[in-house]
Amino acid sequence: MTGSSTFLEVRDLTVAYGAIQAVRDVSFTVEEGQIVSLIGSNGAGKTTTLRTISGLLRPVSGEVLLGGVPIHKLPAHEILGRGVAHSPEGRRLFARMTVEENLRLGAYTRKDEAGIVSDLDRIFDLFPVLGERRRNKAGLFSGGEQQMLAIGRSLMSRPKLLMLDEPSMGLSPIMTQKIFSTVRDLQQQGTTVLLVEQNALSALALSDRAYVIDLGRTTLSGTGRELLADPRVQEAYLGEGVAS
Amino acid sequence: MLPTLLSQIVNGLVLGSLIGLIALGYTMVYGIIQLINFAHGEIFMIGAYGGLAMFTYLLPTFVQQQWYLALPLLLLAGAGVSVGVALIMERFAYRPLRNAPRLAPLITALGVSVALQEGVRVFYPGATAALPFPKVFVQGTWAIPVPGGTVPLRWTGLLIIVVSLVLAFALNSFVNNSRMGRAMRATSQDRDVARLMGIDPDRVIVLTFVLGATLAGVAGILYGADLGFINIDIGFQNGIFAFTAAVLGGIGSIKGAVAGGLSIGLIKALGGQYLPGGTAYDYVWIFVVLIAVLVFRPQGFFGETERVRA
Amino acid sequence: MTTTLEKAPAPTPEPRGRLAPVAPYASALQIAGGALTLIGALLPWATFVLNEGPYPEKATLEFFTAPLAVTGFRLHLVLFGIAAIVLSLVTVPARGRMLQGLGWGVVAVTLANTLYLVAEGGGLGTITAADGAVAFGPIVALVGGALIVLGGSARRREDKPVWAWRSNRYVEWAILLVTYVLLLLLVAAVLTSGGQGTAANVYSGAVFLSFLGAVGGLLAALQASGLLTWIAAVSERHRLFSVVVLLFVALALPLTQAGTEYWMTVAANIGVYAATAIGLNIVVGLAGLLDLGYVAFLGIGAFVAANLSGAAAAQFDIEVPFPLVMVISAVVAGTFGAVVGSPTLRVRGDYLAIVTLAFGEIFVRSSQNNIGGFTGGSNAIPGIPPVSAFGNDFNDELIIGSVELPRGALYYVLIVLIVAAVMLVFGNLKNSRLGRAWIAIREDEDAARAMGIRTGPVKILAFMIGATIAGFAGAFFAHKTGTVSYESFKFLESVTLLAAVILGGMGTIPGAVLGASILFVLPEKLREFADYRLLLFGIALILIMRFRPQGLVPDSHRRAELAPDSGVPPTPGTAAKAAAS
Repeated sequence: MTGSSTFLEVRDLTVAYGAIQAVRDVSFTVEEGQIVSLIGSNGAGKTTTLRTISGLLRPVSGEVLLGGVPIHKLPAHEILGRGVAHSPEGRRLFARMTVEENLRLGAYTRKDEAGIVSDLDRIFDLFPVLGERRRNKAGLFSGGEQQMLAIGRSLMSRPKLLMLDEPSMGLSPIMTQKIFSTVRDLQQQGTTVLLVEQNALSALALSDRAYVIDLGRTTLSGTGRELLADPRVQEAYLGEGVAS
Repeated sequence: MLPTLLSQIVNGLVLGSLIGLIALGYTMVYGIIQLINFAHGEIFMIGAYGGLAMFTYLLPTFVQQQWYLALPLLLLAGAGVSVGVALIMERFAYRPLRNAPRLAPLITALGVSVALQEGVRVFYPGATAALPFPKVFVQGTWAIPVPGGTVPLRWTGLLIIVVSLVLAFALNSFVNNSRMGRAMRATSQDRDVARLMGIDPDRVIVLTFVLGATLAGVAGILYGADLGFINIDIGFQNGIFAFTAAVLGGIGSIKGAVAGGLSIGLIKALGGQYLPGGTAYDYVWIFVVLIAVLVFRPQGFFGETERVRA
Repeated sequence: MTTTLEKAPAPTPEPRGRLAPVAPYASALQIAGGALTLIGALLPWATFVLNEGPYPEKATLEFFTAPLAVTGFRLHLVLFGIAAIVLSLVTVPARGRMLQGLGWGVVAVTLANTLYLVAEGGGLGTITAADGAVAFGPIVALVGGALIVLGGSARRREDKPVWAWRSNRYVEWAILLVTYVLLLLLVAAVLTSGGQGTAANVYSGAVFLSFLGAVGGLLAALQASGLLTWIAAVSERHRLFSVVVLLFVALALPLTQAGTEYWMTVAANIGVYAATAIGLNIVVGLAGLLDLGYVAFLGIGAFVAANLSGAAAAQFDIEVPFPLVMVISAVVAGTFGAVVGSPTLRVRGDYLAIVTLAFGEIFVRSSQNNIGGFTGGSNAIPGIPPVSAFGNDFNDELIIGSVELPRGALYYVLIVLIVAAVMLVFGNLKNSRLGRAWIAIREDEDAARAMGIRTGPVKILAFMIGATIAGFAGAFFAHKTGTVSYESFKFLESVTLLAAVILGGMGTIPGAVLGASILFVLPEKLREFADYRLLLFGIALILIMRFRPQGLVPDSHRRAELAPDSGVPPTPGTAAKAAAS
C-alpha cells in the first residue's frame, strides 16, 4: 500500500469526544494526485477523521503523516501551511462577509498580493457566478453557490491536498454533478483530493481509491470500481439494483 | 434654559466619547471570545496610573511643562502600561480557561478586576486617596456663544471628543479593511473555520486585547487630563458604563460602541439635570437603561438579531 | 481487490507522565522527605529573635536550650515526618495519595511560617544565616515536603480504597458520635488557633494558617485512605441520627474553648454569611443563574428589620416582635427577588449576570441616597436594639445552672438554628421536583423546556427563594450588629458571597458553609494583612477558577458545569461495546 508517492498516511487513528470514541484505529493512505474517498453512514466517524487530519481535533492515539512527517500534534493553522486545505461539512462560510473577503481569508497565510489577485481571477473563471457577485455577502447565496465559494476558499491557499467534507450535501443532482466534475478538473490540475461523502455512488465513480468507514473503523478498502462492485457495499450504501 | 441644555449635551458628549473609547475594548473582546471582560475598566484605570507614574517619576521638568511634549509621552505610557497588563491578564488568567464553561472566565474576570484595582491601591504610592493628575493639555474653556448665553467646552473635553472619534474611525477601518482585521472578524464568526484558514486564534485574541487596551490606556490619560485627578474607583464605574454602552450599541459592533457611549454620556448628563433625584441618581438611570436594553433589545442598536449561518 | 482490514489488538495501557522515571525511587524519596521534614522541624527556624518576641513555639535559636519542647507547628511537622516514613515502609492501600496529602500539608505549614518569618524578620537572612547564627529549618522542611509529594505522586495511581465494613446500628452510632465530637473540637481548635489577631498578637495569622495547613494535610490523607468516604457512607445510612447529633454538636460550640464573646460574634457573623450563601447557592448552584447583586437582598432584609425595630432613625415608629420581623423581612426581600428575577424570562447567561449586577448597583446607589428615608444614607440606621426574649437581651451572658454561656452565645444559638433551617430547606428543595427542574435548567435550558418544565416561573422561583433566605438572614444581621449601612451591601460583598459558594463547591450545603467560613474567618485572622485582603481575594478567585473550579466540596451528582470536560479518561471497553452492539 505504501509507495514513494504516498502523500497522506493515517495510521491507527483513534479520536474521542470525552469518553466516547468517534474513530477507532482508522488507517488509510492517499497517494499523490489521487482522488480518495471515505464513505460510510451517518455518524461513522468520517468528519471526525477529517477534523483530526486538519488539526481541529487531537487524536488519542495513532498518527497522521504528511509526506512521511507526523502532523497530528501541530495546531490547525500550521497544518494549512503544509498544503492541506479542509472545506468543512456544511460549508461554514463567513456569512457576514463578502465573497471576496471569504476568498481572501482562504489565502490568509499567503503574502503575495499579485498571486492572490491572480488566484481570485482563477476562482472567478472557475465559478463565474462568484465573480459577478464578489461584493455580496456570502450568507445570501444558494446552497450550490455557497459550496462553490467554499471550494474556492479552500483553493485560495493553493493546497496540495484538498479535503472536502460532504460537498454534495443539500444540493440538487445537477449541482452535485457540477461540483464533482470540478473536483475531477482539480485533480487533473494536480491537486490531491480526499473526499468524504454520503453520496457513495457518485463518490466511488470518481475515486481512484476508497475506504469504507463504519462505526468508527475502516472496514473495507479498494479502488472506486471494486467497491462499487462489492456486494457488501452495494447492500449497505448503494441500495439495491444500482450495481446491476 | 437653552444654554443649560446645550452645556449638559456638551458634557454628555465629552463623557460619552470617553465611554465609547472604553466600550470598544469590551465590544471587541466579547465579539471574539464571548467574554464580558470585567477587568477592562481596570485596564483603563491602570492606563491613567501608568501615565501618572511616567509623568511623576520619569519626565524631566522641562518636558513636564510643555504639554505638546508631555501629552504624547503620557499617551504612549498609558497605552503601554495598559497593554502590558492586558497581555499578562490574557495569557495567565483567560487563556487557560479558553475551553472552560462560560461562568468560569466571567468569575475569573471579576477576580482580575478586584486584584488589579487592589494591586494599584496597595502598591501605587498614595493611591489610597485621589491623586492629582498633571495638566498635560491646554487649560481653560471655549465659550461657545448661543442664544441666551454661552456654552462652555473645556479644551480637554474637545480633545477627548476629537481623539475618541479619530481612534474609533481608525479602528473601524483597520477591522474592515486590513488582513488582520479580516482575521479578527473571521475568528469572531467561526473560530474553527478561521483555524482552517490558517489563522492562529491565540494571535487574534492577543491582538484584540492589545487594541482594546491601547484605547483604554489612551482613555485613561484623557480622563485624567480632563478631570485633573484620578482614583482607583474610576475603572469599575466607567467600566460598567462602557459595558452598558457596548450592549446598548450592539455588542460586537464598533459603530455601536461609539453610539452607545454617546448615548450613555447624554443620559447621565441630561438625567442628572432633568430627572428626579438629580445627579445623586444619574448612575441609577444608567443602570435602569442597561436593564431595559438587556431585557427588551439585547441586540442593541447595531447588533444582529440572530447569527446568520448557512 | 477488496481487502477487509483487521483491527489491530489494542495496545496495553502504559503508565504515562513525566514522573514515570522516578517511580522506582518512590519509597526512597518518601523516606528522605520524611527524614528531612523531621530534621527541618528540629532545626532552628529563625536566626534571631523577632521584634515582636520569639516566633511562636520558640522557633528561633533558643530552641537548642530546650530541644524536646517541640510544640505547635513544629510538632505537626514532626508528626507528619514520622507518618511519611511509616507510610513508605508499610504497605497500605492508596498510600501514594495519602503521602501526597501529607506532603502538601508539610509544604503548607512550612510556607505559612516561612513567609511570616521572612516578612517579619526582614529578608532571607532570617531563615538562612545571619550574624553567625544559622537557621535552615524552613528550607530543609520545605524540601522534605516537596520530596514527600514527589514520592507520593510517583507511585502508580491507585484507586481510592472502598471500606465496606459495616456493623450493627449502635456501634455505628457510637462511631458517628465520636466523629462528630472530634469534628467539633477540630472546628473550635481551627477557629481559635492563633487567637484574635490584634496589635499585641501579631503571629495570629501565621499560627492560624499553619494550623489550617496541618489540618488540610491531615484531612487530605484521611480522604485518600477512604476513611472519610466511609464515614460519609455511614452517616448517610443514619441520616436522621447524624442531622440531630450534628445540630447538637454545633450548638455545643460555646462550651468549647471558642466560648468567648469574641468568637461567638465571629461565629454568628459567619452564620449570617453562611445562611446567605446557601440562599445564593440555590440561585447559582442549583438553577445555574449567576447573580452578581445578591447581597442587596441581605440589605433589603436588614433595612426592613431596622425600620421595624423601634430604632430612633427608623422610618416607622413601631417595634415589631423579632420573629415577625424576620418573616416580614423575608417576604419583602423575596418580593424584590421576584422583581430582579423577572428578566430571566428574556435574558440568559452573562447578560443575566449583568442585569443582576445592575439591580445590585441600583440598590446601593439608592440606599446611599437614603431613598424614601428608609436607609439613613451615609448616616446608616444605628441603635437597633438587640433581640430579647423573656426579658433577657441576646447580648447578655446567660447562666443556666452551673453552665455559664458567654455573651453573644444566644445569638450564636439562634443563627445555628437559622442556618440549620436554611440547610433543611435547601436539602429538601434540591431533591424535590422543583430542585430537579432547576438542575435541568442549569444543565440545558432548552432541553428542560422541551421536557415540559415551565422554565420562566421556575427560574423566578429560584430568585425568590434565594432572596427570601437572604432577607431572613438580613433581619438577624440588623439586630446582631445594631447598625445597618449601605456600605455592607456593595458589589464586592456580592462577589465575596459568590466566591464563598464557588470556593466551597456549587450546589452543596457543606460547600456554601465551608466557603463562607473560610472567606470570613481569614480576614479576622489576618488583620495585619488587612490591606492585602482584597488583593489576595481577587488572586484567589483567579486561582480557584484555574485549578479547582468545582470547589472544595464538589457536588457528586452534577455534571460539573465548572469542571474541565474530560475529567474521566475514556474506557476503551465500554465505548467499544456500545459501538459494537
